[in-house]
Amino acid sequence: MSLLAFRRVILRLAAVAAATVFVLPAVAQPVSAADASKLIETVAAEVIEIVKTKTGADRQAAIRKVLQANFDLPFMGRSALGRYWNGASETQRSRFLAAVETAEARAYSERFGQYAGQTVTVGKVTSRPNGVSIVDSQLNQTNGQPIKLQWEVRNGGQGPLITDVKVEGVSMVMTRRSDFSSYIQNNGGTVEPLIQELEARAAR
Amino acid sequence: MVKSLSGTMKRKAHRSLVAMTVAATLMGGCAVNDTGAAEVWDPIETPNRFMFSINRAVDIMALRPVAVIYRDWVPEPAQKSIRNLLDNLGEPVTAINEVVQGDPNRAATTMARFLVNSTIGVAGLFDVATMLGLERTKEDAGKTIGLYAGVEPENGGFYLMLPVIGPSNARDGTGLMMDYLADPFRILTFNLAVNWDVWQGARYGMNVIDYRSRTIFALDDLEKNSVDYYAAMRSAYTQNRADLIRQKREKTDARSELERRDNLALVR
Repeated sequence: MSLLAFRRVILRLAAVAAATVFVLPAVAQPVSAADASKLIETVAAEVIEIVKTKTGADRQAAIRKVLQANFDLPFMGRSALGRYWNGASETQRSRFLAAVETAEARAYSERFGQYAGQTVTVGKVTSRPNGVSIVDSQLNQTNGQPIKLQWEVRNGGQGPLITDVKVEGVSMVMTRRSDFSSYIQNNGGTVEPLIQELEARAAR
Repeated sequence: MVKSLSGTMKRKAHRSLVAMTVAATLMGGCAVNDTGAAEVWDPIETPNRFMFSINRAVDIMALRPVAVIYRDWVPEPAQKSIRNLLDNLGEPVTAINEVVQGDPNRAATTMARFLVNSTIGVAGLFDVATMLGLERTKEDAGKTIGLYAGVEPENGGFYLMLPVIGPSNARDGTGLMMDYLADPFRILTFNLAVNWDVWQGARYGMNVIDYRSRTIFALDDLEKNSVDYYAAMRSAYTQNRADLIRQKREKTDARSELERRDNLALVR
């Protein structure tokens, strides 16, 4: 047991060290609860409007605009790549982020399309000491149980932006991260095959 | 003599301590490297992936098509009634788990639901209890174990891909077994009916089809938007189960998901 605790301490120390080295420049400014819930309400209203009025490629383009304006896509991409981010070159990073953006726009446009005719109720906001606000909300389905949605809002310098969405406890960024890391490990341990795969999918 | 005995005991104690430490390290293998279910402990990944590919083949050829037909062709009220019936049969197991979880009041509500729905609700076809204000809960032994296990709920032991049932882990697999053994309906049909296996088979089969029909969109989404479907599902399953357990724990446990996320942000 003591060994376990020891390893935990070491890990935490390492985490703090890593944080001071890498994350310090990107320290988040606090987001007020009102701002955070307003952001989610605006995004939900915009998306519901888009799903109601647009279809196909139009919808995808509109959703992409909403993503670009309200989501911190570079931060999400970076988190999704995890520790492999540091090993990637500058061009690889920008190629990766571009491919991820296309993939996310496509995914979200389909996801939101499925939820047509449903409403989002924004609940309580929890502010965390590291500047992240968690906004609880519910997707009220026309039939069946409401779906639990949580939004992570963070201000990285460009105003409050969404950095993660959790559906029934499943974080989109964490799932991506696990997905990407497994793909990288099974394909030679470098990011290049992953980026090529994502680019091929984006072109489809 | 005494000296040597105490020496042996000491050595034994020492050895068991070492064994315990090793065991703790092994069991905590994923807790130590916990990066928010980004890396789930999966020591038998190769057999798991093999089982996953078989499951997928069965799913593509049989399960998903049947689920799609069920979803699109069976009238919605009928689907709802089947759902209610299956849920009602599951209530006793939920009640048992709620008792073990130390929530007898909730267990009483569940049993009240069961009695109301089994009688007024025509053998569970109609969920009258919800209309009367008795909300439904769903508990399983995996959650019960997770509630009491003193580890992060992301740590459910080794990841396990079960035939047909799909993603699971040591904790939830054990839970599944316990629920199966404790299920009064299984015991009852086993004792009463001549062809109990037919009844039970029909019940579990319907459960699978019903569950699959409600996860068509989510799983299609996960498959389409992942580069490694197996890994994405492993992560999503682990997170979802952890979230359910955390909701149970939150009443008593101060160390919450949010606190964990803060630490994760450092590792990022």
